[in-house]
Amino acid sequence: MMSKLTNSPIRFKVPGYLIGPILILVAAMIYGSLGSEYFLQPASIIFNTGRYIEIGLLALALTFVIINGDIDLSVASTLAASAGVLAKLFANGVPIFWCCVASIFTGFVLGLINGIIVIKFGLPSLVVTLATLALYRGLTQVMLGDGVVANYPESFVGFDQRLLIGGNPGLPAPLALFIVASIIFYYVLHRSNYGLKNIMSGSNPSTSNFSGISVNNVRLVAFALSGTVAGICAVMITSRLGSTISNVGLGLELLAITAVVLGGTDIFGGRGAVSGTVVALFAIMAVREALVIQDINGQVQDAAIGLLLILTVLVPRIRSYYVDKRNRKKRFNEAQAKA
Amino acid sequence: MAVQLNSKITYIFKKREFGIFLFILVLLAVFGSIEPRFFRSDNLSAILSSVGILMVVGAGQTLVIVTRNIDLSVGSTLGMSAMVMGMVARENPDFPIVGLILVAMLVGGICGLINGYLVSYGMIPSIIATLGTLAIFRGAIFLVSDNVQIDPEDVPKDIISLATTSPIGIPWLLIFAFLSIILVWYISSQTLLGKRIYAVGSNPEGAVSRGLSFNKITILVFVFVGVLAGLGGVLYTARYATINPADVARGLEFDVISAVVIGGTNIFGGSGTALGTALGCVLIGILSNGLTVVGVSPFWKACATGFLILAAVAIDNLVRKRQEQNFLLAIRNQRVTK
Repeated sequence: MMSKLTNSPIRFKVPGYLIGPILILVAAMIYGSLGSEYFLQPASIIFNTGRYIEIGLLALALTFVIINGDIDLSVASTLAASAGVLAKLFANGVPIFWCCVASIFTGFVLGLINGIIVIKFGLPSLVVTLATLALYRGLTQVMLGDGVVANYPESFVGFDQRLLIGGNPGLPAPLALFIVASIIFYYVLHRSNYGLKNIMSGSNPSTSNFSGISVNNVRLVAFALSGTVAGICAVMITSRLGSTISNVGLGLELLAITAVVLGGTDIFGGRGAVSGTVVALFAIMAVREALVIQDINGQVQDAAIGLLLILTVLVPRIRSYYVDKRNRKKRFNEAQAKA
Repeated sequence: MAVQLNSKITYIFKKREFGIFLFILVLLAVFGSIEPRFFRSDNLSAILSSVGILMVVGAGQTLVIVTRNIDLSVGSTLGMSAMVMGMVARENPDFPIVGLILVAMLVGGICGLINGYLVSYGMIPSIIATLGTLAIFRGAIFLVSDNVQIDPEDVPKDIISLATTSPIGIPWLLIFAFLSIILVWYISSQTLLGKRIYAVGSNPEGAVSRGLSFNKITILVFVFVGVLAGLGGVLYTARYATINPADVARGLEFDVISAVVIGGTNIFGGSGTALGTALGCVLIGILSNGLTVVGVSPFWKACATGFLILAAVAIDNLVRKRQEQNFLLAIRNQRVTK
């Protein structure tokens, strides 16, 4: 049976970690198209992506952190603090370009701080980023208070409405950015030296250390990367919303982590793929939009995503349990027959 | 005798809980000297009633974290049991109060059982499983309640009075909090079950090879935290009297985990005490109330909590490293003298 499959003319094989997200994606698309005939139109799909691009970028960067066996719960708070710096500088009359640069730099520094605390003090990243989740959000609240910063210049607002390629359906700038970012992240993780080091140091830190990889540097780079991407997302989200308040991006970290885990990255590190994260992001997006079309409450949408997260981890394990059991039985029978 | 007493005193001073206790005293002194109204009885009782809910849930969370797991869904579990209890009370106004408390604890226990099965037999890492159930239970609150909130007039007067009165002067809310802390202390230090829980937490493979059932103990601690979160749901209803399906106890898991970590429980499992968690809860309660009372902008609260967690973990780590060094030194000295 196996040999027949490998000899089949179809050489292309879908990796196991993609099956779950693809199934979810297809199911959500069917379900959504039952709700509205316009759901599957390319223009509507592309228009809907705008709100999910920040989550997607955060998830791409988090893939690196999680492959290392770490976790960064503070991404959404880092995003908020960067957006806060941007807003505060803008309110004080700094040109918008330098505000954006400062925002990205803030993200970089905050990510670096996470990494330094985790690595230099040897503390668990779960606790450290739980603390900085509160700390960075608190800094944002101290910076902005109850206030709203708005009145950004016309040229800055509405990044998500801008089309790189015009026409119907066009290619909006955020989607283009996400595609480019996915390709870059794919090459870095799966085709570059750093990506190999990343996966190795995640799967076995001490062996990697002994074979000449500076595991701590690899981890530090991943944390700095996730902070920097959060800074970039802060610029994007400010441009999309056109205003800044202190609870901007609240709870985005959970969605980003869900996308990473749904895409097959092992939460304990050592395994993961950029393609999984990208497909999982689109699956999450399709589910949410389909439920919106069917007029289902936001809290229940979150529950559906949570259920899918558990099922995608659970189903392969149940399957492998039964496959193992069958193989054991087969071997037992063969041994019996021999005896 | 004097020597013994001396060693006992140094033992207490060296205890980690003593450090948190000292810090609480310092905070009390600072807040009290800046704003004497801080010590007014109504303010103190406000602090204690918010700490009480935290303590009940934190007591259970301590045991979960000791077994190398984490339960992010406690806030949703608490909300779910409060909501179901509120609905039962609304439909049957004559339902006995003990029955209501049992209903809440049962609902919490079922939520915990689901978590436990996912983590043990489902082999899903607890952080993912409870991240999922965090959202699922919250969605379930919405579906069960049909997005109708429980109003104060629907809640029996007896439940509301749990937060304020009792036969012996202190409110029932605090009695429940102390009882749950004492229960966890008793389980963890006085029973065989406690030894097993700590064994699974400090060395899962070793514990399993000694014949302990990893799955059973994991399910047990998750059910335990679920039941306590159910009790927390009763206390939440008693204190706030309103249960809104959208934001009942939202974000509670963050405060609970912060309190447990500040109380000295190691997030990698194997160590942690009920007393430490209780002190951690008190510390967070005093800090968040005190900052508001002395007139610091409430926006600093999140910053302060973050700093506190970082400081607690860093100090913990230093102490642990020094203990390991001392241990190694002691072994080496023994070898040299031999």
